[in-house]
Amino acid sequence: MSGIFRITRRDFLRNIGVGTGALVFGCSIAPDEIFADTDKLKSLILRGIPLSAFVAIKPLSGDITIFTHRSEMGQGIKSSLAAILADEAEIDWDRVTLHQADADAVGFGVPFPYAIPGAPAIVRAEDAQFTDSSRSMAAYYMPMRIFGAGLRLVMVRATAIKWGVKESELEARQQRVYHAASRRSIAYNHLLLEASKVKPLPEIDEIKTVLKRPDQWRFIGKTTMPFTDAKDMVTGKAVYGADVNLRRRGMLTAMIVRCPVANGTLKSFDASAALAVPGVKFVEPVLPANFPCTGGVGSNFVPHAGVAVIAENTWAAWQGRRALKVEWDLGPNESYDSEAFRDELKESTERPGKPVRWKGDVDAAIGGAAKVVEESYYIPHLAQTPMEPPTAIAIYENGSGWEIWSPTQGPELAQHYIGLAMLEPDLVQGLVWQAVELSELSRECEHETQKIFNESLAKRLGVDEATLFKMRDDLKKKVRDKVKVHVTLLGGGFGRKSNPDYAMEAAFLARNHPGIPIRVQWTREDDVKFSFYNSVSRQYFKAGLDAGGRPAGLLQRSAFSSFFATIFPPPAYVPADQGDIFAKARAAFHNGGEYLYGSSIELGQGLEDNPYVIENLRIENSPAPNHIRCGWMRSVANIYHAFGLCSFADEMANAAGRDSKDYLLELIGPGHMFTEAELRDKEHVPCYDNNLFPIGRKMMPIGGQEKEIMPGYPPDTRRLRAVVERVSKESGWDEKKGKLPKGRGLGIAAHRSFLSYVALVIDVSLNEANELTINEVHAALDCGRVINPDRVYAQMEGGILYGLSLALLGEITVKNGAVVQNNFDDYPVLRIHQAPKKIYAYFVEPSPEVVNDYPGEEVPPTGVGEPPTAAVAPALANAIFAAGGPRIREIPFCKKIVVL
Amino acid sequence: MSVFQLNVNGNRHTVDVDGNMPLLWVLRDILGLTGTKFGCGVAQCGACTVHLDGRAARSCAIDVGAACLSEITTIEGLSYDGSHPCQKAWVELGVPQCGFCQPGQIMSAAALLAANPHPDDPQIDNAMRGNICRCGTYPRIRAAIHKIAGSSS
Repeated sequence: MSGIFRITRRDFLRNIGVGTGALVFGCSIAPDEIFADTDKLKSLILRGIPLSAFVAIKPLSGDITIFTHRSEMGQGIKSSLAAILADEAEIDWDRVTLHQADADAVGFGVPFPYAIPGAPAIVRAEDAQFTDSSRSMAAYYMPMRIFGAGLRLVMVRATAIKWGVKESELEARQQRVYHAASRRSIAYNHLLLEASKVKPLPEIDEIKTVLKRPDQWRFIGKTTMPFTDAKDMVTGKAVYGADVNLRRRGMLTAMIVRCPVANGTLKSFDASAALAVPGVKFVEPVLPANFPCTGGVGSNFVPHAGVAVIAENTWAAWQGRRALKVEWDLGPNESYDSEAFRDELKESTERPGKPVRWKGDVDAAIGGAAKVVEESYYIPHLAQTPMEPPTAIAIYENGSGWEIWSPTQGPELAQHYIGLAMLEPDLVQGLVWQAVELSELSRECEHETQKIFNESLAKRLGVDEATLFKMRDDLKKKVRDKVKVHVTLLGGGFGRKSNPDYAMEAAFLARNHPGIPIRVQWTREDDVKFSFYNSVSRQYFKAGLDAGGRPAGLLQRSAFSSFFATIFPPPAYVPADQGDIFAKARAAFHNGGEYLYGSSIELGQGLEDNPYVIENLRIENSPAPNHIRCGWMRSVANIYHAFGLCSFADEMANAAGRDSKDYLLELIGPGHMFTEAELRDKEHVPCYDNNLFPIGRKMMPIGGQEKEIMPGYPPDTRRLRAVVERVSKESGWDEKKGKLPKGRGLGIAAHRSFLSYVALVIDVSLNEANELTINEVHAALDCGRVINPDRVYAQMEGGILYGLSLALLGEITVKNGAVVQNNFDDYPVLRIHQAPKKIYAYFVEPSPEVVNDYPGEEVPPTGVGEPPTAAVAPALANAIFAAGGPRIREIPFCKKIVVL
Repeated sequence: MSVFQLNVNGNRHTVDVDGNMPLLWVLRDILGLTGTKFGCGVAQCGACTVHLDGRAARSCAIDVGAACLSEITTIEGLSYDGSHPCQKAWVELGVPQCGFCQPGQIMSAAALLAANPHPDDPQIDNAMRGNICRCGTYPRIRAAIHKIAGSSS
């Protein structure tokens, strides 16, 4: 067995408390010694014997528990991943109970080469449960199949041992292994003893040979996919963050008054009136002024400074909070005003920015153009507002540490941030978390920055590299031992619940009151005012069209406040002597950029991967500082990049007097798969990140020999073209052209994000009062293989409506450093009467030519949660213009048209 | 603090709470009926919708003192086994995504259908526009209501 399973195995053994035995990642069988230890056996009979990190079986009943490790927030991933495993393992779904796993970063990591055949890890162990970037299926589809098939193979092999027959004569169906010749069968749970004797356990390469064929699947790719929580959700039994019942343990509820300005600090507070409210027990600061807010894996996800009112129930805490008087030192961000900042962004995009990708001579091309088109687009800060406001419960026990319940997209992130903040107050010491062995990195571009960081940190701490890594391992062990995180259902996430600031608040307060569960409950006002906002942005374009109306040259400038300015502390907050090491840490962390500029993540979301064929191209990132917390919202930087680029494509088409769809197809061209070498040689892309999924082909040692593999999913404009063609056909674009009545129009937009391809056609009407009606939305999606058709369709509907909501209504403004909006009355979101009644989604299968370029026999499944969202605003703006309405270059559209 | 007698889902409860406490927090924090959700606190989102004498009401904006005059039904009391037509249709059509707003959506829909068994689209809009869903399940909520009403949109 190769060394790549080392961490997982060790951790697994530690977790279940058994010794080393027959065990392989994803397909382990309880070792012999379990059966020799009566006490252990008793407990395992009751809660099931773990067959792997993902599956446990009860030896008497045969009932199965599948541990679901990704956070469920509406995408159906909890059932989908479990059903993939059950399908391949031939587990009887009627006997399956799903159990949401606790934070366990290493236990659920999928190391190379599970992710896709012959490719490196898509999700490192550290990110195993971080449910972001629409990547659960991309990362875990193949692993789940392998774990399932491995389990089935072991059961078959165990039967062969037990009965002395050939494996080839056996067949597993619904948790039983059948021997047709002797008409015998045996249940999985009666095979555990023999299964523990199957040594060595099968390796991945062998398991891959027994994967089911698609025609043998029960669930994968079918509408039979289960949706386990649906009934609990409609009967009120489903447990979300605030529903965890610890009242018998004396749970108290905290509400917090927070400093309205990011990075402000507490000056003073008067608790007397709050304490006079019946039911209020304590009033205390949440974060002291010197609370560590930096270090580690980017642990500046700390809460705003606050004062907590802790009471017997929510209402008492809320009343106490209203009575509380607090004074703040607002700090330098007090001067932040989003209206003024808008002008700052404008000025920034009027000057040359940092080059991101360039080829040819753009200035000459524009100078010699027959026609010049020049436009800018503005996208304000946006808040995610999941229906469930942030909430978390924490208990602290002296000695043992924290136990936390929270609806979180990042179980292990919550664990790590809380652990680091509480247990390693020294900022530089905390940075050891980020030391990474270069051999663990799969992207060439990471090596240099990580190497520099490792060396610099080791030097600063006065240790050698081996000691540095040991310090890191010790710190991680301490954090993981001391902080336990249970994950509840999420009442929506949309990126807000990636950031565990609310769990940090609960953990902090719990430490002051050992043994008492403290639930921190946010109000909607808290959620609107203290989000991690999608960044404000301005997108500038200038194109020179040739005589045929095609762009001979395109200049694009993107200005936005990078969320890296939130993840890492602003320079002003870092002590002078630590500035250098933090700069290096920032550079090493996910290829983070310099201050004022975007990270490779943001640049890779629709900016540097501009899909159009344009001879002379210059894409720049214009500098923008940051004054409030920025983070992620469903489709993130794609929101502003797609709005700009897909709107501008339509403006060029109109300037050229061309049909928008035909023009778009011409911009995309026949399509091709991007390669790293091509971009580096011909187009000067300094860092082509592709949303953290490496591109290009390289040689990797596989099975003892060098093999060419494709590590990841490079942009492929053949797939973008295909979704445009499909959505045009389905929406009847060509038939409707020129035949629509006055006041009605079609808009089109196509965008690749999170490795998937989406094209939308929106059909709108605008009456004389400028009132908007959305008649139809057509959406074509290529996400590789569709695993759960019903939930993918639901994500398309949901992603489109989320995009409509932000396009029509979304705007967060800031005055004097504080967010102006409060609740759904002044931060409106889409309601049922505003939602189009006709939404059609079409799944596009990649063409045989595309499939041929991917390893394996299919294009692996990719994201569906976020991809539909980004294309909505430009498609809608283009439709409104086509309907005779104004050209809208600014979100929210309700400023230009009437949204009833 | 005052003592109130509440009739919730056919059961009588005596609670001793601040008379201004909204019904929502009595249900959730005092009676432990957590199916009714907190979403906004200002009657803007509908997550806390319950029935007062069969009519949809936002429990975050009704004081316990006022609520005790009515028969209260929460999602837990809509049916004892999830067999209410709305609950069945919601599961059948796969309406929920995250599910958080759905108890409120279902209480609003159930009240609508009780008063008007065959609502048309404008009537659905009117009854349901007070219930926000951020996942975007509106098309399926509409389809589920039409299914129960035996109509098509």
